[in-house]
Amino acid sequence: MFFTVLSLGLFPDSATGQKQEFLLKDQLQRSIVIPARAEHILSLQPEITRLLLALGAADRLVGVDYFIHRNDHLFKLIHPAGADLPVVSQPDGSVNKEMIARLAPDLIFLSPTEQQVPDAIERSLGIPVAALASMGRFSGLLEELELVGRLVGKEERARELVHYFREKVRVISETIGALEETERPKTYLAFWSSLIRTPVFYDPVTVAGGQNVADRLLPSRLGTASAVINLEQIIKWNPDVILIHGSYPPRERRVTVEGILADRRLGSVRAIKDRQVHYTLGFWYWWDPAGVLVETLYLARLFHPEKFSALDLGREGEAIYEKFYGRTGIFRALMKILEFDEWTSK
Amino acid sequence: MSIRVKDLVFSHKNFSLEVSDFSFDSGKVTVIVGPNGAGKTTFLKCLGAVLSIPKNAVMIDGQDLAVLKARERARLISYVPQEQDSAFNYSVGDFVLMGRAGYLSPFALPSKQDFAAANEALDYVGLRRFAERSIGELSSGERRLVLIARALAQNSDILLMDEPTTFLDPKHETEVLNLVRKLAGERKKTILVALHSLEMAVVYSDVLVFMKQGKIVASGPPAEIFEARLLENVYEMKIRVIDWDGRKVVIR
Amino acid sequence: MSGQANSRQKILTIVILSLPFILFLFSLAIGTYDISPGKVIRTIASVWHPHSRQDLIAPYRDILFRIRIPRLLLAMAIGAALSVSGASLQALFKNPLVNEYILGISSGAAFGAALSLVFLGRAFPPQIAAFFFALLAVGAVLLISGRTESHFISLLLTGIIVTAFFSALLSLVEFFASPYVLQSLFFWLMGSLSLASWKDLSISLPLIGVGLSVLLLLRWRLNVLSLSDEEARSLGIHLRREKLLVIGAATLVTAAGTSVVGIIGWIGFIIPHLVRLMFGVDNRRVIPMSAVMGASVMLVADDLIRGLSSFEIPIGIFTSLVGIPLFLLLLKKTKKVWL
Repeated sequence: MFFTVLSLGLFPDSATGQKQEFLLKDQLQRSIVIPARAEHILSLQPEITRLLLALGAADRLVGVDYFIHRNDHLFKLIHPAGADLPVVSQPDGSVNKEMIARLAPDLIFLSPTEQQVPDAIERSLGIPVAALASMGRFSGLLEELELVGRLVGKEERARELVHYFREKVRVISETIGALEETERPKTYLAFWSSLIRTPVFYDPVTVAGGQNVADRLLPSRLGTASAVINLEQIIKWNPDVILIHGSYPPRERRVTVEGILADRRLGSVRAIKDRQVHYTLGFWYWWDPAGVLVETLYLARLFHPEKFSALDLGREGEAIYEKFYGRTGIFRALMKILEFDEWTSK
Repeated sequence: MSIRVKDLVFSHKNFSLEVSDFSFDSGKVTVIVGPNGAGKTTFLKCLGAVLSIPKNAVMIDGQDLAVLKARERARLISYVPQEQDSAFNYSVGDFVLMGRAGYLSPFALPSKQDFAAANEALDYVGLRRFAERSIGELSSGERRLVLIARALAQNSDILLMDEPTTFLDPKHETEVLNLVRKLAGERKKTILVALHSLEMAVVYSDVLVFMKQGKIVASGPPAEIFEARLLENVYEMKIRVIDWDGRKVVIR
Repeated sequence: MSGQANSRQKILTIVILSLPFILFLFSLAIGTYDISPGKVIRTIASVWHPHSRQDLIAPYRDILFRIRIPRLLLAMAIGAALSVSGASLQALFKNPLVNEYILGISSGAAFGAALSLVFLGRAFPPQIAAFFFALLAVGAVLLISGRTESHFISLLLTGIIVTAFFSALLSLVEFFASPYVLQSLFFWLMGSLSLASWKDLSISLPLIGVGLSVLLLLRWRLNVLSLSDEEARSLGIHLRREKLLVIGAATLVTAAGTSVVGIIGWIGFIIPHLVRLMFGVDNRRVIPMSAVMGASVMLVADDLIRGLSSFEIPIGIFTSLVGIPLFLLLLKKTKKVWL
């Protein structure tokens, strides 16, 4: 699995001595020269788009991708003007090059897992393309936040948010305290609408005091975000908890809590016997920084209820979303869309 | 077993076959000769309903061949093609066994009876010892005999043979034609053979039929009709026929 | 063929016929979850003699009866279905290189199943649409290329065109499908046995059974059908009816299989080849032996997938990895040519 390796070197402009460009190494191991400041950003990576919103730099967006326009639950709630932004990509991963040329961004962000080849786009359009994603790691997310903050001249705000994020995580960790391996509930993540597809790295689980049973599957070098395992492996792991990718709208969920509880193949698994099968947010084309924090809180309470008995998830959620996006009611809206009664029932 | 042809018409591209009225004698060997493209093969194929024919054009014992079911047809008439080029190298025995298809429903496997018929057919053509060999190993003469054996296994009263002796050496040519005569004599089969060789046609036929440009231009016992003027007419070249040792020989 | 070779063939036949059963039993003990052969036996026996520690063997029971056995059955069914359909189509089209993939049957079935899954949901059996479009595909090939006796190149080209057409249609379906449905299509399109459950099998297995039975019954008839159309007709075959029967049955088994596992392309070509090398070209033997060999090869391939890693690797890769060396080995050994 990748570490988000962003090595930033600064190339001083020889004439004026000012910082003009960065050398960035993205997740596809490409070294890209990007401008120090980007006025026009084309974000085809919803995670980055959400960071831009959080930084208050939505005005720098010249265009977005199909996913955040069509499928994201919160984009138009947080940024109503975003509905009018040009949509440059399509579900099959292709991009409209002419449109990009017309929009003339300084920088394009992509997901490293998309099919379109960043180099080809860069070559044909002459615009730097960076393939970035958190890849399931908090460190990745925060590095992105810092980078984007620097790009749009909102370093202060970026620092504020990074600090807020780290504080929240610290509080969670402290509340949980030191844990033995055996005290961490073994957790299996059934993501991407499939019982057998699981993310190898998912920090929220680890930070919340659990253990992702799949985290030893692949060496980090390989850099894949997900693994397809066979069903027997789940039974072999015998997880205490199963988390289902719940960001899918309730009607569209192929994998459901009821479905897994009723799956007789898995009857011997501890999680099913104890009825510890729950929905979690998971990725929704990578992360929403506010969402993943709330998720971590939810999971902490799930894994160690006795330590988090005082947690009011509803209130915390509202506060976190308000901190990031400056609006109220966002968390409530999300809970309603996804019908996560369990999250806010307490 | 009478074969009666009436208003048989078949067109294909630039060629058309027209036989308005003709009867074949049963139990006899009728040989059809004519230049290339005269329609011999087409005629035979029509007679076997291998090509689609109009209704009432070919009547076998009063039955319209065109409306008979495939299996009934196969039991009446068998057709021996000029060439055989199977994609798969079947054994001789399996190949001859296929002649029994007319006696089996699609889902049936050959019975002991069918095996016996196939073996008997191979015996008759003298190739029983090759039963386990594959078709590809045989010489072309032997392959022709196997084709005939398959037609024999069909146990039909009428056999249609399309140029069974082309490309065969004289020895094998004679072998095949002797077999034909034997079939007519011993087994009382009605045999229609298309031949290239005029000399052989004269010797082996009971009835000789001349075709030209899709029509029958002459027919009758060879002794009566085989003469130079007719030949010149049909083949459009200078021909002389001489008697040699009791046989007719064609000189070009 | 001498008597000695005949008895050699007999032994080979018996060995091959028993292969699926032996492999099946052997495969029960293979999988990510370690279940030793002893435990396998005890677990199966527990059906009749309930075990004292039911809770202990519960995972074994779940895995054996609900995961492994349906998957093994599916593997055998697919292997047999694709091999027999390949062999039958080869006879019908008078060419040993023909298979359900190049005729466009697999692509048509894949498109039909995808269409059904996307627009009619998982509740509706995808086998129906798969069969319909598979028939459409082979019908198109027949219509365009002329007759079953067409020169192989024209048949191949037509098949490629039809396959490309349905692949394009499939892409269109993917394009319009919501990302949610697309995710569930993901595995199925890869060609995988991972989703084998009794529910999927309940429809596909009987369909494959019916189709295989038809082709098995037609096995001698296929010999005659492999002759030229004219010869076949003169031998007493009602060509149109019987060809449709063969094509219908071959398409049915392919479509039923593809609906559940996606496209697995290599089996229908190589297995009949191997069988012909070993047993000759008579379809009375080729058809049943292809079924048996196909089932066995599929089992071996799936065993490798399940046994070697905890990941689900698409089986199409493995069928090639198992089938190709096997073919080369046999070709070298016997030095026989099937033509």
